[in-house]
Amino acid sequence: MSDSTTVSPGPAPVAGSGDRRSRMPSRGGRRRRAGRIGQVHPLVALLWLAPALALILGVVLYPAIKLFDASRGEYSITGLRKGDAGWDNYVKVLDHPDLGTVLRNTVVWVVAVVAITIVLSLALAQFLVKSFPGRRFVRWAVIIPWAASLVITSQLFVLLYDYNYGIINHVLLSLHVIGTPIDFLGDDSWTMFSMVVVGVFVSLPFTIFVFIAGLGAIPDDVMEAATVDGASPWQRYWNITLPLMRPALMIATVLNVIYVFNSFPIVYTLNDRNPGYLHDTTITFMYKLAFKSQEHDVGMSAAAGIFNVLLILVVVGIYLKIINWREETSR
Amino acid sequence: MRSTKQSVVVAGLAIAGLALGACGGGTGAGTAPGGTAGSTGEEAKTIKLVAAEYSKDHTKAFWDAFAKTYHDKTGYTLEVQVVSWDNIDQQSSTMIQNNQAPDILNLNAYASYAKDGLLYDSDAVLPAVVKDDILDTFVKYGTYQGKFYGFPDLSSARAFFYNKTLFQQAGIAAPPKTWTELEADAKKITALGGGKVGYALPLGPEEAQGEFSMWLFNNGGDWKTDGNWVINSDKNVATLDFLKKLADEKVTQNNPARTNRADAFDLFKSGTAGMVIGFSPLAADLDKDKKVDYAVAPFPSNDGTESKTFGVTDYLMAFKKPGNEKAVKAFYNLYYTPDQVNTFIKAEGFLPVTKSGVAYFSNEKALQVYLNTLPNAKLTPTDDPTWDKVKLAVQQNLGGAMNGSPKATLDGLQRTAESGG
Repeated sequence: MSDSTTVSPGPAPVAGSGDRRSRMPSRGGRRRRAGRIGQVHPLVALLWLAPALALILGVVLYPAIKLFDASRGEYSITGLRKGDAGWDNYVKVLDHPDLGTVLRNTVVWVVAVVAITIVLSLALAQFLVKSFPGRRFVRWAVIIPWAASLVITSQLFVLLYDYNYGIINHVLLSLHVIGTPIDFLGDDSWTMFSMVVVGVFVSLPFTIFVFIAGLGAIPDDVMEAATVDGASPWQRYWNITLPLMRPALMIATVLNVIYVFNSFPIVYTLNDRNPGYLHDTTITFMYKLAFKSQEHDVGMSAAAGIFNVLLILVVVGIYLKIINWREETSR
Repeated sequence: MRSTKQSVVVAGLAIAGLALGACGGGTGAGTAPGGTAGSTGEEAKTIKLVAAEYSKDHTKAFWDAFAKTYHDKTGYTLEVQVVSWDNIDQQSSTMIQNNQAPDILNLNAYASYAKDGLLYDSDAVLPAVVKDDILDTFVKYGTYQGKFYGFPDLSSARAFFYNKTLFQQAGIAAPPKTWTELEADAKKITALGGGKVGYALPLGPEEAQGEFSMWLFNNGGDWKTDGNWVINSDKNVATLDFLKKLADEKVTQNNPARTNRADAFDLFKSGTAGMVIGFSPLAADLDKDKKVDYAVAPFPSNDGTESKTFGVTDYLMAFKKPGNEKAVKAFYNLYYTPDQVNTFIKAEGFLPVTKSGVAYFSNEKALQVYLNTLPNAKLTPTDDPTWDKVKLAVQQNLGGAMNGSPKATLDGLQRTAESGG
């Protein structure tokens, strides 16, 4: 990744460098180059790093290698490895007749959920930083969808959306908004909409709290200065709040894109009655390839998993690139 | 400040990306068939059973008690792991990939496992008296390439359930004997209004092959005849055309293509649906709720000839592992004693798989409808490994016929079957 240079800031002046604290063997001290105070023998450093390295190797790297290995194997329906498949599994995934549908669904799902979540969260965060009686309880209430298990939330929505007994249809019918019930989960024109609603619902809490923190970090004096200079509330929001919220917006967007892209329970649970891949995203597609579809092929599913990792890395990489580019041009 | 924040994002991204890779990491690989535990060939004293959960109340209780008896009588230890039906396919597949196959696995398919050479056949682990006691139908469908691998644990047979109250309100005197009558009755029930559903037709992915099997067997059709796939035969196309007609006439529940069996059962249990294809566990639920006044009848055939029943059995298959043969044989010897197998079947509300079991249950009035048909029940071609994939294709594609062409749907399934899945 092109941004990898920013991971280790190197000798460039970073926060805290050059002040008195850096003379102490603190966290900042470890960043010094050889010969400076705080330097330790490489073996000692390795000892300190060992637990983290073991964790990364065991929990991240080893399964990733196994995944890659599985993607290159030929598997029987029972899960038995019959031999090596070379790149066949990758070719089969790319040749899959429903791949286009699945990719389109993924784009719609991620873009819709993240965009709606960000916009709604900006508004709700504005509201939640104002002080009003009972604010604490409202903030707690906002966390609840986050605290609940995704599968439970999804099942709950399946009941709410139900054609025969669902409360949503019941309310809409009683209010005479509609004449016949809406098949939220079975009607192709409604399914994605219904899923997006749930996706937004569970993404809101995290995003709101990121934005609340972001709003809290905006210095009051800047706002006061703008007010004194006669800026209207809208101007203040557009020219001060939003630009200063950029780090929060960036973090919220990147993490939400990854989170929503990887969201399995919602898409799977709300979609389990629908045959084929009409409303599947790449994640549920991967699962169905392994266990539910006529392919029932672990190797193909592993190849799809590799594609998923690459896809999300590329998408987020492009996003960060765009952000950087804007920053550079605005300087 | 900007650069540190960015580095946090980048680091977080890197971790998330790697974690994503890790999520798929359960798919490790093992090339050797079966298991390699105890490669010295020593006799295994402990064997593992992975059992499917038929019910929360009874399954675990039965197997725990069974394990105790097994230990007391044979000295071997049985480790029991009960897994829900939703997960068992995934779990068993993962176990085999990782070279950790159980000794005995309870599943609804076996032929693919037999094809992969993972299983013991009856000569190795099933006592001869037990084999003779198992109903001929189940021996037939449990036999792959001349050897009996699929030992049935229990069975079920489908029957026609109807709501007597709704039939009375609609002025219908007797359950239908032909499909024409069924269609007319469904129209009458739907005409009662209030959201009543004539016939609850579940063609969703959960068990589309079960619903369709019942219909096609009663139109003289089949999945496979004389070793050839006949999924798109004229009779089967006519059967699916008829189901589409029922859906188009709106005498079924809304959107049959997207209705799972459990949802169809719910409609019947709530008294909304007039007719449904059910089996003994549904009857048990209905008896417990006491909400619906129902009766069970043979499923009508298209032309009024004798009704055929769709039977289902699940399997207890034995994995070849060095040294486990004796312990596995002792397991089957004990499981198929009338005390054990019939206790299990009775608790779970299913049907027997042995001749002695049929005799044992013969005085149960509620089961008469099923028991009479059981020895002649038709099963799906579970003895063909291809069926394991065709079944999945049927589940994922059959519903598509409700909004498209039944002929094209069945042609597609036929192609899948002929190409070996």
